[in-house]
Amino acid sequence: MSNPENLQTLPVLPIKHAVLFPSMLMPLNVGRPSSIAAIEAALASEEKEIVVVAQRDAAVDSPGLTDLYSIGTKAVIKKMARRADGLLEVVLLGVERVVLLKLEQHGAYQKARIKPLPLPQEKSTEIEALRREVGELAVRALALTQPQAADRLSQLITDAKDSLRLVYTLAPMFSLELEKEQALLEAPTVAECLRLMHSYLAQELQVLELRSKIANEAQSEMSREQREYLLRQQLRAIQKELGGENPEQSEVALLRERLEKADLPEEVRKEAERELGRLEKLPPAAPDYHVTRTYLEFLLELPWKKSTEDVLDISRARQILDEDHYDLREVKERILEHLGVLKLNPTAKSPILCFVGPPGVGKTSLGQSIARALSRKFERFSLGGLHDEAELRGHRRTYIGAMPGRIIQAIRRAGVNNPVLMLDEVDKLGRDFRGDPAAALLEILDPEQNRTFRDNYLDLPFDLSKVFFITTGNALDTIPQPLLDRMELLRLAGYSEEEKIEIARRYLIPRQLKETGLKPEDCVITEDALRSIIALYTREAGVRQLERTIGRIARKVALRHAEGHTEPVTVTREDLTTWLGPRRFSLEQTRRQLPPGVATGLAWTETGGDVLYVEATLLPNGRGMTLTGQLGEVMQESARAAQSYVWSHAEELGIDGTKFRRYGVHIHVPAGAIPKDGPSAGVTMATALASVYTRYAVRVDTAMTGEITLTGLVLPVGGIKEKVLASRRVGIKRVILPRENQKDLSELPEDVAKEMEFIFADKIEDVLSTAIPQLAEHFAALKAAS
Amino acid sequence: MQDTLNQRSVVFGAAIHLDGETHWRPAADIYRTRTGWLLKYDLAGVKREDIEVTVRGSQITLNGFRRDWRLEDGCSHYSMEISYNRFERTLELPCDLEGAQIKLEGREGILLVRLICEGEHREQS
Repeated sequence: MSNPENLQTLPVLPIKHAVLFPSMLMPLNVGRPSSIAAIEAALASEEKEIVVVAQRDAAVDSPGLTDLYSIGTKAVIKKMARRADGLLEVVLLGVERVVLLKLEQHGAYQKARIKPLPLPQEKSTEIEALRREVGELAVRALALTQPQAADRLSQLITDAKDSLRLVYTLAPMFSLELEKEQALLEAPTVAECLRLMHSYLAQELQVLELRSKIANEAQSEMSREQREYLLRQQLRAIQKELGGENPEQSEVALLRERLEKADLPEEVRKEAERELGRLEKLPPAAPDYHVTRTYLEFLLELPWKKSTEDVLDISRARQILDEDHYDLREVKERILEHLGVLKLNPTAKSPILCFVGPPGVGKTSLGQSIARALSRKFERFSLGGLHDEAELRGHRRTYIGAMPGRIIQAIRRAGVNNPVLMLDEVDKLGRDFRGDPAAALLEILDPEQNRTFRDNYLDLPFDLSKVFFITTGNALDTIPQPLLDRMELLRLAGYSEEEKIEIARRYLIPRQLKETGLKPEDCVITEDALRSIIALYTREAGVRQLERTIGRIARKVALRHAEGHTEPVTVTREDLTTWLGPRRFSLEQTRRQLPPGVATGLAWTETGGDVLYVEATLLPNGRGMTLTGQLGEVMQESARAAQSYVWSHAEELGIDGTKFRRYGVHIHVPAGAIPKDGPSAGVTMATALASVYTRYAVRVDTAMTGEITLTGLVLPVGGIKEKVLASRRVGIKRVILPRENQKDLSELPEDVAKEMEFIFADKIEDVLSTAIPQLAEHFAALKAAS
Repeated sequence: MQDTLNQRSVVFGAAIHLDGETHWRPAADIYRTRTGWLLKYDLAGVKREDIEVTVRGSQITLNGFRRDWRLEDGCSHYSMEISYNRFERTLELPCDLEGAQIKLEGREGILLVRLICEGEHREQS
């Protein structure tokens, strides 16, 4: 059996994925022909001995010496049986640890020369401690993997006396990797073996604990849901017992009923039915239930096909428009034109209008009366300060608290799909990182695109093409160009004094008296008094402040009535101070005379026109040009152009050329705190400069506006009506305008045009000779000389 | 075909033998006799020269080898249940066995070990 050196030659059985430990049993199903041959060879021997070695790489089919670990286990075949499918079932008992010295092929199988490698035997307190520690870890781990057998096993483990056997027994119970098992088998000392096992077990335990935690969590989640389900079922049963219907089911039924009755486009109905089907399946406690229900309700409330009948009576419409607003011919004509078009072609696209004008000129109320004239519903909302695109287009329903956009909400409020929809303050749209609402408006206001406007919340196309859109704004320059392009621009300029008097008489006074509960005869305001109120107590392009002031008088009269002084009151110009206190503005703001270097300019502002003075002065020993008065870039450039013109034409203007070198020049435009910009003060600045260099004063009764070029041409500017009205308001009746602006005078009320004197200029000389009498003489003398 | 390990299925069977032995254990019956003890071992097919008996205090240990032999040429195992190779069986008896007389006798595949103890005898009678 054993020779003196304890060397033996035995058949080799390479195994995969596992290690056979000494004194352990291992059942195997053997199929590899070489393995079967090895087992048969062992069975034919007297001792039934075989060497079991793990192979490093499971993929190798006929392993050589290098493919096998060098340390294996000598085993005895305890049992063997052949199976019908040719496999060999064997039970092996590990006997001792051996070292493989040599392999030799022996027919179909290999034989190995082996030398026993006795197991270490040392004992110490450290080993004892390690063994207990390993045992403890193993018990904990087994409690997780084999809860039903854990008790029995833990008893055996704590009872185990032999450290190595404990490790060998435990190793197969936790599916350790082959390398780890092999390391345990090869361990040179008991302590080493225990230490290895300890680290493997600790790691294994961590994984197991994590797994069991995950499993527990999943389970508790499950049981909570089950509990809720059970409770809900019970609740249902109770409700049934009480005779009440299932409330959420009746809600769905109600929605279904509404859906069936509603007149919806096919696509919308399909979507609504799909959502309703989803709602039916949802438990009412689900967060989606509420979202879906709200969505469906909103969907059903929208006027998909409902519209009001237009009343196409043009004379009635004209009457309504005239009732509500004085003048505004252009706008009224446009509305009546559209009515005429609708009469001939009922499917005509609604126009998209943009009213631009100073505050208080009646833009918003005009919208209301348009709606009245067309017998359409009126809805309005303000775009002022809106800076989130989602406000217009809505949020997608995936967001919590998602809402439809303002457009669709306004449509729902209107209840019809063809209201007059007024978007106020389109010039005050904000814009930030959340998006550009102006860009969203582009789609909404395009008749070609808004037929299928898709709100993010609704997620269905809605036809906005029948909506009569009107936008309003105070200034054009903040409206993006593409947006402006989509709209039909209608300017509502400021009102003249006559217009205001008319408006006050027809609308403001009756309205204020009615509001204070007075009869028309109780309070009369004379025309003179009105004129004074307009000129001295209000200064505006519109009539808002005028109406407020009239309201103040009306309230004071009402108070006297309430105190028993019921005699009618006539308000005259003389006793305005007793009614309204001292006047707030004075006409004396116009200067009585101008020193050389000051010229009167006209400016356009959002509140109408204004008069401003350009002051120029020479600075002895100064240099260059100083510009003050919050002038914008364009205005500064036009000042430089004016200066260059004056310098280059010094001789014609009769200016001593050395003055340019000797003096600096300072141009100031009061009021210093108000920012100003634009090219239209060009002629004013050129006039002021010419005046300061020639020492000739500018005529005090002359105001001017116009852009200039370096060669002295006068170019047209905007806002002529407002500028002329402003100059008239301050009492300047002589106005110099660019020739090309002559056409704009048709906008002026006739009486104003009649009262004023207009001088049209092609070149700056025309302006200078009109504004500075001495220069006119100078030019005449030059002409005569040549 | 592959070798497959169905080790896990018997892990707990193995775990129970934590005193893990590398040999097999023959079954044994123990009889009391007038003169001492009669031990009966289920040890068929084992040659007398492969059996060794040692006595230590109250323990008697039997160990040895069961070797298979070829019955005839050209035969091979179809299945195998009998345990071969080294066996060992230690029995503990409630008396001191040092100095007891030991007789081995094989009969029809059963090994009889007779222990004759002086003290036992006296006590018994």
